[in-house]
Amino acid sequence: MYRRQLLSIGAVATVALVMGFLVAGQVKAQLLTPSNQVARYQALVRSVQDLEATNAESRRQIATLRTEIDVLESDAAGRSAATQTLQNQVADLRAHAGLTAMHGPGVALNLANGIPGPAAGGQASYLVNYQDVQDIVNLLFAQGAEGIAVNGRRITPLTAYSGSAGQVVIDQGPPLSSPINVMAVGDRNRMVAALDDPSALPDIRARQVQFQLHLVFVGSPDVALPAYDSSLQIPHVHAT
Amino acid sequence: MIALLVALVATVQIRSQAEVERSLVGIDTTSLAFVIDDLHRANDSLQAEAADLQAREATLRSGSSGAADQVLADEAGRLRAIEGLVPVHGPGVVIVIDATGLTSLDLQDAINNLAAGGAEAMAVNDHRVVTGVSIEQTGAGVSIDGSVVAAPWTITTIGDANRLSEVADLMTKALNADRRVREATYRVESDVAIRSVVSARPFVYAIGA
Repeated sequence: MYRRQLLSIGAVATVALVMGFLVAGQVKAQLLTPSNQVARYQALVRSVQDLEATNAESRRQIATLRTEIDVLESDAAGRSAATQTLQNQVADLRAHAGLTAMHGPGVALNLANGIPGPAAGGQASYLVNYQDVQDIVNLLFAQGAEGIAVNGRRITPLTAYSGSAGQVVIDQGPPLSSPINVMAVGDRNRMVAALDDPSALPDIRARQVQFQLHLVFVGSPDVALPAYDSSLQIPHVHAT
Repeated sequence: MIALLVALVATVQIRSQAEVERSLVGIDTTSLAFVIDDLHRANDSLQAEAADLQAREATLRSGSSGAADQVLADEAGRLRAIEGLVPVHGPGVVIVIDATGLTSLDLQDAINNLAAGGAEAMAVNDHRVVTGVSIEQTGAGVSIDGSVVAAPWTITTIGDANRLSEVADLMTKALNADRRVREATYRVESDVAIRSVVSARPFVYAIGA
């Protein structure tokens, strides 16, 4: 009798579970327009996510390999004064290339999307774009930044920016979107003064007024920047 | 119990769907296709870098005499070229822009387009340009690292000449449609030389972690 009761409860639970999946599937299906366009869109989104996962894994692998190489080089440097001298030179060059983490006084800046406006021809102007990031980074370097990171991606001598509306691609990283956080180490008074200058970043300031683009920054006694974790290959360049 | 199960499963399904589309909301399919193309290229570059690092690590692990010195010397040479500290040469494209009224933002955009298009070393009117070198608007015109660069601008690039010529073609077409530009041309060269260098700047504020 007790065994039959248990079996009945099990059967009811199984049916309930199946019903749960069916209902959830139905709800999910009703949220989306049943068309090929949507299916294609979802397939593209899945491709992006798969590629982003591969991208993140490759960058983790690169960071690990660089750490292991550092250890091996330090071991070798411990056995030879000449190697030690070379290692010191390389350490300095790596620091300037953004390949090592750094910290120091600086500024932290936050840039976020505004609100869509009715103005014609400005459909995407309320979104943060890659030129905004490029302009901020260029301004900070011109005002004494010694290292910069954007949403944790370190800027290097070879950095390039690209992207479409609302998406910012830096080097080989995945697309970034609002909010964008820029951290810079350097002369913080000079950088803050430059960011405060109403004539600086004219495009962003105009869109602050028109679309409420959000820009705030603050000087800080200690800003930390991670090491660059992507490729720095120059296969076509040869030293003269 | 049944109601709880149904609610749980439905919530999980809906939240998963929301998560899938979280970062890509509002992007059209064409833009997504570009994102995929960029990510493929980025992942290829990352894998090339990883392979290069693995080779370097293997050399260091071999423990052979002078292996570390060779690895470090090669790395120093490569980083000096990346940072613009030494003259370099290689295949590339030379773009000449004769214009009046172009600003520092125009030059920064041109430099960035070429960097995104595969330029590995660049100079403008014999001034070496890497990220971090200031390009500013002054009363006398556009300056690079404090020196005014008068028109015409000759942008010398080294990199994959096929990719760079595609970028240069698009760029010069757009520039030639700009009223401020008298003429914008480009040529592909098998060996471009960049002799100018950037001065090394020691850190004043930054501390290594």
